[in-house]
Amino acid sequence: MKQFVSFIIKESKHILRDRRTMLILFGMPIVLMLLFGFAITTDVRNVRTVVVASPLSAESRQAVGRLAASEYFTITATVSTPQEAELLIRGQRADMAVVFAPKRGGIQFIVDGSDPNMAQQWTAYAAQVTAGPQSSAVNTKMLYNPQMRSAYNFVPAIMGMLLMLVCAMMTSISIVREKEKGTMEVLLVSPVRPLMVVVAKAVPYLLLAVLILVLILLMARFVLGVPLAGSLFWIVAVSILYILLALSLGLLISSLAQTQLVALLLSAMVLLMPVVMLSGMLFPVESMPQVLRWVSAIVPPRYYISAMRKLMIMGVGIREVAREVLILMLMVIVLLTIALKKFNTRLE
Amino acid sequence: MNIIEVNGVSKHFGRVTALENVSLSISRGEVFGIIGPDGAGKTTLYRILCTLLIPETGRATVEGFDTVSQMKKIRRRLGYMPGRFSLYQDLTVEENLKFFATLFGTSVEAGYDSIKAIYRQIERFRNRKAGALSGGMKQKLALCCALVHSPSVLLLDEPTTGVDPVSRKEFWEMLASLRERGITIVASTPYLDEVRQCDRVAFLEQGRIRGTGTPENILSEFKDIFNPPPLSLCKTGMPTSADDNIAASSASHAGEDAPVIEVSHLVKTFGNFRAVDDISFSVRQGEIFGFLGANGAGKTTAMHMLTGLNQPTSGSGRVAGFDIRTEYEQIKRHIGYMSQRFSLYEDLTVSENIRLFAGIYGMKSEEITVKSRELLRRLKFEDHKDDLVKSLPLGWKQKLAFSVAIFHEPGVVFLDEPTGGVDPATRRQFWELIYDAARRGITVFVTTHYMDEAEYCNRISIMVDGKISAIGTPAELKQRFQQPDMDSVFTYLARRAKRSSD
Repeated sequence: MKQFVSFIIKESKHILRDRRTMLILFGMPIVLMLLFGFAITTDVRNVRTVVVASPLSAESRQAVGRLAASEYFTITATVSTPQEAELLIRGQRADMAVVFAPKRGGIQFIVDGSDPNMAQQWTAYAAQVTAGPQSSAVNTKMLYNPQMRSAYNFVPAIMGMLLMLVCAMMTSISIVREKEKGTMEVLLVSPVRPLMVVVAKAVPYLLLAVLILVLILLMARFVLGVPLAGSLFWIVAVSILYILLALSLGLLISSLAQTQLVALLLSAMVLLMPVVMLSGMLFPVESMPQVLRWVSAIVPPRYYISAMRKLMIMGVGIREVAREVLILMLMVIVLLTIALKKFNTRLE
Repeated sequence: MNIIEVNGVSKHFGRVTALENVSLSISRGEVFGIIGPDGAGKTTLYRILCTLLIPETGRATVEGFDTVSQMKKIRRRLGYMPGRFSLYQDLTVEENLKFFATLFGTSVEAGYDSIKAIYRQIERFRNRKAGALSGGMKQKLALCCALVHSPSVLLLDEPTTGVDPVSRKEFWEMLASLRERGITIVASTPYLDEVRQCDRVAFLEQGRIRGTGTPENILSEFKDIFNPPPLSLCKTGMPTSADDNIAASSASHAGEDAPVIEVSHLVKTFGNFRAVDDISFSVRQGEIFGFLGANGAGKTTAMHMLTGLNQPTSGSGRVAGFDIRTEYEQIKRHIGYMSQRFSLYEDLTVSENIRLFAGIYGMKSEEITVKSRELLRRLKFEDHKDDLVKSLPLGWKQKLAFSVAIFHEPGVVFLDEPTGGVDPATRRQFWELIYDAARRGITVFVTTHYMDEAEYCNRISIMVDGKISAIGTPAELKQRFQQPDMDSVFTYLARRAKRSSD
């Protein structure tokens, strides 16, 4: 026990004395949260709109008024023919045009479709706004995220990515560093059990990851205004399960890699790429080709992100995420067993 | 009873034979030396003894316990210092010691008696980070860490490599005192003076034991390897430009009589630490100049300033006719440089390496072809020109690295500890190449920790605490300080250092 404690103290000192890494570890969540929360956003806001109107009917005038009043659209010009509006869009001076047909009261949208996702959103928003509250034939109601804020989507994804990165990368690098420096040889020759070495390595990173988790949750709640709808206890519990999974992945990487560089590349390439691309963080899993869907089935963050979306945003109980939690648990058991089996008491 | 028994142990890594049918027995209380060139299998033998590797065939026991089946029992009785100092660089001296003490289930207080003689020497630096210690101090700390649990056997894998002669002497004095206390010591070393302090030694080569016995017996049995006939000191002096037009053309800036390296009142400070403290000297063309000094005396800093890698704080100097303050780009083009760590690309072949470095120095393609054929013939490397460099023995790599460094016929070549890790015979062959280069008019500026190599130089300087405390021919220095050999001269001067250990 005394050995275990002194091991953890030693490991914490390594972490605390490496100022630059600490700065990155805590700076990265803050920067990412702010970036995704404020800068990189798919929210519709201030779309530069041209209104095309030969004499406006009273109805159209009301619609233009609603467009101008909404925070989504900014009316930059009023022209009289659709051709002129198209020229403005092609000249990069407007994003979309709203054409009011003079007689029958119909509306046409001319949209810059170079970003199809955004174009679709603009059209949907514009249709709703111009139609007005009473006249709409189809009425949409957004559950959980009525304002359609993208932060709601990104916060769970950032958690999934950062926790994986911090735990897997940092543990694997810290173990491989000892191999590289030759201190691992002495640790192995000592009477200490290798299992203890591994567990003691993981504990400080577990604490660090929990700190980062708290930081993200606080920022999400108070800076980005994302609600924590579900029970805080289960959010943290599922996160810790996920952290354990990331730690065992890091351990596995450390038994494969011989140098810090390889460990870094393995965790960056083999972990980060699938996390970003296949976990449903950026692209919905459902719209991927079948093969990629199979691959994404073994990407752990997919289940974590999905569970977090349900727990945090939808506010459901733990029973509704039982499937995700069970899969994560299974993954932890399998990975940890392999990692501990692979961790050698000798050099080969 | 023998404390260590090795019987018919073999070990391969892929197709490489690390150990082949090795048998040894070491009796209690012995200081046993394992000698042999790099890659002979010494480290593998150590790792088998300390249970880190499993032998393929044969059996090894330590204190009667089998290294495979009774691993735990051995690990408790063993002190092991791997080749690299196994310390945590970002922990302080005291933290390192405390950590290793708890690791072995003891405490610094309980183990203090067994380490106090050594620990006292570094105790005043106990709050300093291990990474900021000099080589000699790291070595003392590593030894303390290996001793704190009072092991009965101490395994030391090249503990003094890269450590200056004074620290090395102190280290072996410590080992002698440990022996008095009955600790069995197994140590490997490339230095002959250390070999002579062992009770018995085993000479390992290419994974086989060539011989075991007292140091005298082994050194005389294999005297071709350990005591090569001394180099005939040829008269290099000043070559006339008539019989050596290559050197004359490359050193044309230097002119006939002007020295190739000239330095006056050179100072380099880091903060308020004077790493190089007002040094002045000059080196003539074609001279072999040995630049000696203990670890931390300021050799590397001085060399960096001469090669244009670093700017002096004050003072002036010219190398190959160029000012080191303003014309460092020119200097880089007119010198050759070989360091111990970086010299060749391991994953390129011999001829690719030659072509690459010649290209970097702007040589013409036809010239490269002609000269590289000539070089390969001279080194007798023709059959190996398409071999990857990493497959060559260390001694060959060093010869090749040196030849590549002077391939573009520079006026001066700087060699930073060029001959680490090889046996005396291979080192001697290396020095033949140096003499050859000097004969062709290339000035050689070399640092080394081997004092027998210092004797090969035309002139040497010895740096202590950032200053040059002696300069002259080896004979002059020995006479001036009334010492029998260069080793004693060095020790005599370096022991007077004030900052050597901090």
